[in-house]
Amino acid sequence: MTTAHADRSETNEPFVIYPARRVITINPAFPYGEAVAVAGDRILGVGSTDELASWGEHRIDDRFAEHVIMPGFIEAHCHVMSGGLWNSTYVGYFDRRDPQGLLWPGCTSIDDVLERLAKAAADMTDDSQTLLAWGLDPIYFPGERLVARHLDTVTGDRPTLILHASGHLATINSALMDRCGIDETATSPGVARGGDGLPNGELHEPAGMMLAGEAFVDMMKANRSEQARWRYGNEARNAGHTLLTDLGTTQLWDPDQLSNWKKVTGDPTYPARVMVAMSNLFGATAEPAELAELCVQLKSEQTDKLRFGIVKLILDGSIQGFTARISWPHYYKPPPGHIGNGLWLTAPDQMADLVEPYHRAGLTVHCHCNGDEASEVFIDAVEQVLERHPRWDHRHTVQHCQLTTPDQYRRMAALGMCANIFSNHIYYWGDQHRDVTVGPERAARMDACGTALASGVSFSIHSDSPITPLGHLHTAWCAVNRLTASGQVLGPDERIGVPDALRAITIEAARQIKMDAEIGSIEAGKLADFAVLEDDPLTVDPMALRDIGVWGTVLGGVLQPAQTSDA
Amino acid sequence: MSIQRLPVTVVGGYLGAGKTTLVNHVLRSTEERIAVIVNDFGEISIDEDLIVAADSDKLTLANGCICCTLADGFAAALMQIRSAGTLPQRLLIEASGVADPTQIAAYGHTPGLRLDAVVVMADAEQVRRQANDRWVADTVRMQLAAADLLVVNKIDLLDDADKADDLCDWLAGLSAGAAVVRASRAAVPIDVLLGPGSASDAADTSERPAPAGVVARGWHTVEDLFESQTVVLDAPLPMPIIEALLADLPDGIARIKGLLQAVPPASTEDASEANAAEAAATACLVEAVGKRTSITPHATDLTQPPPQWAISLISLKGALAPDWLRSHLQPSC
Ligand SMILES: [Zn+2]
Ligand SMILES: [Zn+2]
Repeated sequence: MTTAHADRSETNEPFVIYPARRVITINPAFPYGEAVAVAGDRILGVGSTDELASWGEHRIDDRFAEHVIMPGFIEAHCHVMSGGLWNSTYVGYFDRRDPQGLLWPGCTSIDDVLERLAKAAADMTDDSQTLLAWGLDPIYFPGERLVARHLDTVTGDRPTLILHASGHLATINSALMDRCGIDETATSPGVARGGDGLPNGELHEPAGMMLAGEAFVDMMKANRSEQARWRYGNEARNAGHTLLTDLGTTQLWDPDQLSNWKKVTGDPTYPARVMVAMSNLFGATAEPAELAELCVQLKSEQTDKLRFGIVKLILDGSIQGFTARISWPHYYKPPPGHIGNGLWLTAPDQMADLVEPYHRAGLTVHCHCNGDEASEVFIDAVEQVLERHPRWDHRHTVQHCQLTTPDQYRRMAALGMCANIFSNHIYYWGDQHRDVTVGPERAARMDACGTALASGVSFSIHSDSPITPLGHLHTAWCAVNRLTASGQVLGPDERIGVPDALRAITIEAARQIKMDAEIGSIEAGKLADFAVLEDDPLTVDPMALRDIGVWGTVLGGVLQPAQTSDA
Repeated sequence: MSIQRLPVTVVGGYLGAGKTTLVNHVLRSTEERIAVIVNDFGEISIDEDLIVAADSDKLTLANGCICCTLADGFAAALMQIRSAGTLPQRLLIEASGVADPTQIAAYGHTPGLRLDAVVVMADAEQVRRQANDRWVADTVRMQLAAADLLVVNKIDLLDDADKADDLCDWLAGLSAGAAVVRASRAAVPIDVLLGPGSASDAADTSERPAPAGVVARGWHTVEDLFESQTVVLDAPLPMPIIEALLADLPDGIARIKGLLQAVPPASTEDASEANAAEAAATACLVEAVGKRTSITPHATDLTQPPPQWAISLISLKGALAPDWLRSHLQPSC
């Protein structure tokens, strides 16, 4: 055949046609195809095999003939510790798959937790090593409390620390209490006590958790290791994701962390693209204007797999932790002694000045806003900054957007803002939101994809992994069905259809990180990033969306089969 | 000296109240080696002339102090401070402008540390508005309520003395029990901030901003504002007297600090002799700042000459009789 198109592929190899059960393109002008053709790292075209063959010398690869090919899923909000925590033993309530593809069944009772720890302790060879675990969520064990006394029965003299799912608490055993000198003389309000007045092993908030000393510091350090970054990428691949956004957990001004990202993503086998957000959190020495400058500089050095250009800010806490800023009537059934509303993590009247330098530098600001007071403050700030420095197509995004009200969505639409909605919350904490945190009415309109859609706000949905497991089929399932863990529908009127959910996890996610010209849909010229699925999300029962198997991904034309190692 | 627990001072208060100015003022005005921990470097600016070296996670200061952030948690910050060489004599934690100082103060209960005081700054011009603001009213009120020492800063910006009095009364109501102290440019006397005896003789006072102010009713320049009294003790004091002193402190006391010998209440018949009482006396550190009071055992170092046993008090000028302290240390029988 002619070689006229040889320069399409840098390798000069013939392009590959992948026939599929169906290609769902998310391109409204050409929604489906029978096959996709890939030249090098790019998409040559979508269509029938014959149409694609007419481009020239090609090779047909039939391996996906029974699969459904979609644009690779794009997670616009998660964190690199999602990979690092797997350095420790998982003891969460829900089933979770590790980056090696191994399924860890949820520990649905305290006995399950103890059994899991006993096994982990038995597998450890070095007696002096601390047993670290994560994911414990006592909210699911009402009436019972896992304390040091329980841990001692299975861990013996081995120091043991369990980080709770909330990240705000840790439980340690007696051996670790002894090592850290935590006894009846402790005066810290972060040391919880049992009915007998003695410390029970529970450490509250950073001031309490830090008493666990090195054990705690080690756990946090593991989150930054090279291994953590690889696991993060592997987790993505296994769930059909081709891009992850590390939203503000990397200290980009730290040369070591930056070079670590460069090294990992520079490996041709690393299985994901990573967008690393700039963040002013965690001790930046620089002023926002300098961070903005650094981010612009990094953007000019970015590669196909390591991307920059967005900024993470944070305004409030979490709803389940009663620290999100929620307008009157505030919390429904807060715990005794609660101060009435949540906490600001950034001063509201500082917000516009904080957004301004990033806005002026042409960057996109993503702000964590769980409560509606937080989203109001961020929208106000964007409005003020736009008055000072008009700018088109900024795509500043409300992150989490959990209690954003219809009037706020209308303002967001008018201002050109995007939403990234925490749909996974509906499943994981929806029952608690209805019964405890905000009450039935406001719980019904939480994570309001329906309202976002009706208001014309571009929105994505997210897992915030490790807070909830990474996996866009599950997240889309949440937005479509709005089922809680107890099996009840929370706010049926905010449900969206599967096609809208599929847009939210692909092109709309790409849009809010300004990568929609390159990824997010399957169109000629875009990067060849695919999620390869075992079934068709548009034809399965919407209730079965999350059960669709994932073969793996194609990342820039490279096959990335998921790792499955179920024992 | 023996190893004492390191005192921790927390500086809180809403954005713009002058926390950073206060931190710089402290660093300039005391010879204590202070380790400063800030939430975020972005939120503080240590005066450049105080800094001798800076890297991404730590600033080294000219007077042997260091400054690091809570970025990796308090444990990491403490490790950094301990590895920096000479141990500090005090930790000063600057809370972020929206933080709850009580939560930060919880770090003061880490083994080896002791919480000295929560100092909360208020901007005299802005605090009323802030305490009624749509978004931050509850945050600001929570901060004020957490104060042991409430510094009403920028008092010189108010245009008359009545306003200042009104404001201070109102703030005293929001921060029940706190010592309310007025200041301009955060120039609170170091003895008030850190306890009597903390000021540096050598500190360059010329650098300190001259407080602007008019002397009028309830309106004083900073130097005019306080007075102190000290009682030197030649014999141990009965513990009940010390406890009674701290239990019911009148308004107007900013600080009490004393190193003294205390005798537990005589409970047995054989404790009739002075010798027995002498033997039972233990050294303790007595402190009060605002509503926070403490009596802590003080480990004495036998290789050192015994310290001078004395107790000092700093109060607002005119608030107490000159012999108030002495009279309250007399056995009441
Ligand atoms: Zn967040
Ligand atoms: Zn997050």
